[in-house]
Amino acid sequence: MSRGFDGFGSAYFNGDRPVGEEVSLHLANLNLQIGLDDGNTLFWPVKDIRLLPDIAGKKGYVLRLTTDPLARLYLTDRSLMTYLPSAHSKTPGKGRRKLLLWALAAIAAVALQIAVLVPLLADRLAAFIPPSGERALGAATLDQVRRVLDDTGLDPLAYCENPAGVAALTQMTTSLNQGDDRLENLSVHVLDHPMKNGFALPGGYIVLFRGLIDQAENPDQIAAVLAHEMGHVSTRDPTRHALRSAGSIGVLGLVFGDFAGGAAVLFLTERLISARYSQQAETEADTFGYTRLDAANVSPAVMGDMFDLLREAGGDANQLLAHFLSHPMLSQRIDAARAAADASSNYAPILDGTAWAALQKICD
Amino acid sequence: MTDALLTYPKTAAEGMSVDFVGRRGALFWLALKTGFFTILTLGFYRFWMKTRLRRWYWSAIRPGGHPMEYVGEPLEKLLGFFIAVVILTFYIGIVNLLLMFLSFSVFSTASFGYIASFAGVVPLWFYARYRARRYVLSRTRWRGVRFGLEKAAWGYTWRAVIHWCVTLVSLGTLWPRMTFHLEKYVTDRTYFGSARLHQDGHWTMLYRAAVPFIVALLILATSTVWMLWFDPVFGSEVLSISGIAHDILTDDTLVYSLDKPERLFLVPVALVGIVYGAIHYRFVSKRLMAGYKSAEGITSASRLSGPRVAFIYTFGSFIAYSVLVVGVAALAIAGLAVFGPSALVFLDLGLEEASFDIPQAVALALLVVFYLSIFLLWNVLYNTFVTFPLMRHLARTTSLPTRYGLRYVSQRARDEFAEAEGFAEALDVGAAI
Repeated sequence: MSRGFDGFGSAYFNGDRPVGEEVSLHLANLNLQIGLDDGNTLFWPVKDIRLLPDIAGKKGYVLRLTTDPLARLYLTDRSLMTYLPSAHSKTPGKGRRKLLLWALAAIAAVALQIAVLVPLLADRLAAFIPPSGERALGAATLDQVRRVLDDTGLDPLAYCENPAGVAALTQMTTSLNQGDDRLENLSVHVLDHPMKNGFALPGGYIVLFRGLIDQAENPDQIAAVLAHEMGHVSTRDPTRHALRSAGSIGVLGLVFGDFAGGAAVLFLTERLISARYSQQAETEADTFGYTRLDAANVSPAVMGDMFDLLREAGGDANQLLAHFLSHPMLSQRIDAARAAADASSNYAPILDGTAWAALQKICD
Repeated sequence: MTDALLTYPKTAAEGMSVDFVGRRGALFWLALKTGFFTILTLGFYRFWMKTRLRRWYWSAIRPGGHPMEYVGEPLEKLLGFFIAVVILTFYIGIVNLLLMFLSFSVFSTASFGYIASFAGVVPLWFYARYRARRYVLSRTRWRGVRFGLEKAAWGYTWRAVIHWCVTLVSLGTLWPRMTFHLEKYVTDRTYFGSARLHQDGHWTMLYRAAVPFIVALLILATSTVWMLWFDPVFGSEVLSISGIAHDILTDDTLVYSLDKPERLFLVPVALVGIVYGAIHYRFVSKRLMAGYKSAEGITSASRLSGPRVAFIYTFGSFIAYSVLVVGVAALAIAGLAVFGPSALVFLDLGLEEASFDIPQAVALALLVVFYLSIFLLWNVLYNTFVTFPLMRHLARTTSLPTRYGLRYVSQRARDEFAEAEGFAEALDVGAAI
């Protein structure tokens, strides 16, 4: 049985020359017989005929053969379609394995970069940054943090600069930063934000949030956080951390594209704030803190009190706690802080009542 | 003399026009459907989306009644993206780190690092653009015959960098020179089957396309000079004490201080003119150059209209952007209703209100979906109201006045191209579609 179709306006392209040949179309014995001008007839097995997908318009469609990547048959008679059962089947794909390999390589490359190369390089380079460069890096990072944390989207987050409060904070900083190994260029700022957190940036910048001051029961607890962050400053942990972020930011932006690239910046800023240093770095900062507290005649045990307080007040909302919780040794650290206190010493509060009241109002 | 020239005299040529057959509604649904899958797969379907949209657009364009064909594969695009990520991740990550280090160590500021980092990416951007063009051409066929572009991306890159420098140094006056030479570089390396294309003409002819832009610029410059120096709009007496006293006494403050303020309307008019001039230049220069493109026995011509293209851009973008604005406003209202005033800040959600209950988490998920839908909708509308009419106009105004050379064209070999347009995708170069 043979069935003819309207070949008017149809054309066969042999895959070599861009010149259409007129065709006559017949369907017989499960073959599409394509009669050409030169008298030859092509036989296309029906099961191997595919329709090109996503063709625009109703005026004409294009068929191909799975066994021939180049030849094309342009048709206008839609009625032929009903006789082509495999027209919408898939043409076999290729190169899945290569794809998988490159996908794995891509993931490995990004992971290697963020987890190994960038940190390694950043740690090496951080040792060579001169103090002025470190200071500039800190200032730039601080600006970024202030811009990201601002709710209004207009100005960067404000510093708290009530003069009496600033004086009290300076007094506290000076008491803690004394002796032979005192830190140069230390700048302590309070930012007007409810987060219960404090962090250090390169170049001796230490930032406390209003939420932390509101949370503290006495000035010694603020001093404990300050002393701990000074420990990070002394070992230049934040410098290494900020350099790592500078390297990773481009990679993340690349992988996630522009749209998510903005989120990558937010993510890294968040990482700067709740910097997760190694356990060893935290322990060193703690030890540094005990020494400074002790030297300022404040009991190192207050650092344990502060951890405890934040743990109780906490829940998930507490960033500083989350920061410390990321180290499984929190209880040990509380114990260590309390053990560092000398029972025979006659410790005194770091600020008197007036100065403490002024510090609590630093954001007013 | 080749066969083509001996057999057919140029005068006897009959032209071939280009048709465009697709319907806007069909495209809208295709874009919506594929965009929806893109959201569901967190962006990975975008390679399929791009492929399917291209197939559709290509098949809508029908020179001589026969559809163009796009044979690019989504998987090869995905593969190309992975390859580009592997290579770029090292470049961008390590180089950025070193630049930031240098910037802070030597210059004590971040700006050197940012500028150097940007300058380092610029050549890559040109490189990616050429490679993307090569990929798209190598996957385009008409009447079963492949297009192609030679492997010459680095040559394009350094030429583009130099042309940009020359253009910047000449304050933009040599811009047409850059447009012409870069287009000539690409055209002269483009093939249709065995036929090599050739770009004729001279760069100075493109100044014609820049006329509206130059006129708008002149209007802006002269009106600025006029209104600020020769006959100031902001009358000088307002600064004198007597003037202020006069204002207070007569109680007509603002009107008095401006001298013929209706002239200020010249400024927005000139600015609109500059935007129009930029669009006009971009497309009319294409038209002018199309008239000088040829292969042996084949010539091309374009009749595209600058005003028409500008209308498509402004009207289409207006619709797409209005929907986006309405969407964002709705998002903001929804966000306020669910979380309260400070809720839309990412960090607040993440850090402070982390202990929200389940209904709020569901609401947040809905909000994210809504947010993504706006981007989807924008993309769909842009395709429907800008890309579609633009492609249609460009197709219908293009023709091949001479075409006898077609019968001497034969197939070219396939350009195996593992990396596809991966660099363009990763660097967000944004190939036309």
